[in-house]
Amino acid sequence: MIGTALKWIAAFVLCLVLQTTLMPVVAVGGIAPDLIVVVLFFLAIRAGVMPGLYAGFLIGLGQDLYSPSLLGQSALAKTITGFFIGLFNEKVMRTDPVMKLILLVLSFMVHDTVFTVVTVIKTDASFPLVFSELFTRTLPRALYSVLIAAIVYAYDYFVKPGLNR
Amino acid sequence: MQWIIQFIVHHRNLSSLFLTVMLSLWMLSGSDARQAKIARTLTMTVFFPFQFTVAQVARARNIFAENRRLREELTSLRTSASFLEEQAAENERLRDLLGFRESLDYTLLPARVVAREPSQLYRSLVLNVGKNQGVDLYMPVVSKDGIVGRVVQVMRHISLVQVLQDPSARTSVMTKRTRSVGILETENGRDFFIRHRTHVDVQQGDTIITSGLGGIYPKGLVVGAVTTVREGVDPLFKKTLLEPSVDFDHLEELFVMQISPQWTVLRGELDSVEMEK
Repeated sequence: MIGTALKWIAAFVLCLVLQTTLMPVVAVGGIAPDLIVVVLFFLAIRAGVMPGLYAGFLIGLGQDLYSPSLLGQSALAKTITGFFIGLFNEKVMRTDPVMKLILLVLSFMVHDTVFTVVTVIKTDASFPLVFSELFTRTLPRALYSVLIAAIVYAYDYFVKPGLNR
Repeated sequence: MQWIIQFIVHHRNLSSLFLTVMLSLWMLSGSDARQAKIARTLTMTVFFPFQFTVAQVARARNIFAENRRLREELTSLRTSASFLEEQAAENERLRDLLGFRESLDYTLLPARVVAREPSQLYRSLVLNVGKNQGVDLYMPVVSKDGIVGRVVQVMRHISLVQVLQDPSARTSVMTKRTRSVGILETENGRDFFIRHRTHVDVQQGDTIITSGLGGIYPKGLVVGAVTTVREGVDPLFKKTLLEPSVDFDHLEELFVMQISPQWTVLRGELDSVEMEK
């Protein structure tokens, strides 16, 4: 139990560090994969609603500490995202990897909608920004991140069984 | 009391969601600057050694490409250096003629970006210079192309910079050609605009520079160029869109301008006002 928790904490810390350093290097047209949402996704799917929700809150808070403004913005977005992933996985499906990758894209939509709505409210920006962000930034970012998640799934489905044999 | 506990235990998922959402909203609404500052200091102290190591690995990967680029730049700079020397001498002579005093009373401190904010909005970045190297709060940060942002937090060896992409950042700017002043804004960190009064003369291609009125950036630093002027949407204002001169997606080597804000003398009073808040 403690070992599993420590593994997840290590994964989040590693992703947070990679997100702040390596991801800007691999960005294409300003779009970089979001490793943190990907790890949150795997955690919420494997551990359930409650761990997903609290991990989302804590990692979001960790992210907020980097921001010079709007403390609580990422915490709110990731809390709701962790809850959404855990609940959706629990109520709707559990096995199909393709559906899970679709769920990952939906998770990005939920995350970025909450994130952008907070930005709009706090900075008096115009509300159509939420929709334009979803199509111009969120969707490409989600698809880029799906590539990383697909690698993890490919490892789980094809490489790991071979290693276990 | 017992039924409340039973209710919470029974609906623990929703109770947890409610609790964490409320906590997030509380943080968003009541921004206790001092509390956030302490928390940020702790986080940056914990993460910085990891970030520094990984950043060095990432840098090493690009070292050959960087070497070639630097050679090309060196050749280009050597060519233009002699030309600039000639111009500097001419400038000096003209300054003497006009009776101007040399106004560059600051130095540029080279700095390297070691981390970026881990969210889709790149509102901040971390530099590898801090208080020990002479960095102070609100010092402007520039690249060779123009202004990048300002220092908002300083530690001994690193500092946090709020970049212009932060939607909460506001910068006083002016059109270089007509000297009309405005406030640089952005809503999404990519599209920058200025609201000008309808009668103000501004055209596509005009260079936008800092006005020096905000108290942080000195006058005359390049911000960007006007791409579009949208008129007719608002009877009082027109929206001037601009392309920033800095490529915010590829920031590596920057400079901290070691210059104090014009309102430094008031900082004590400002701090006390913030404390009262």
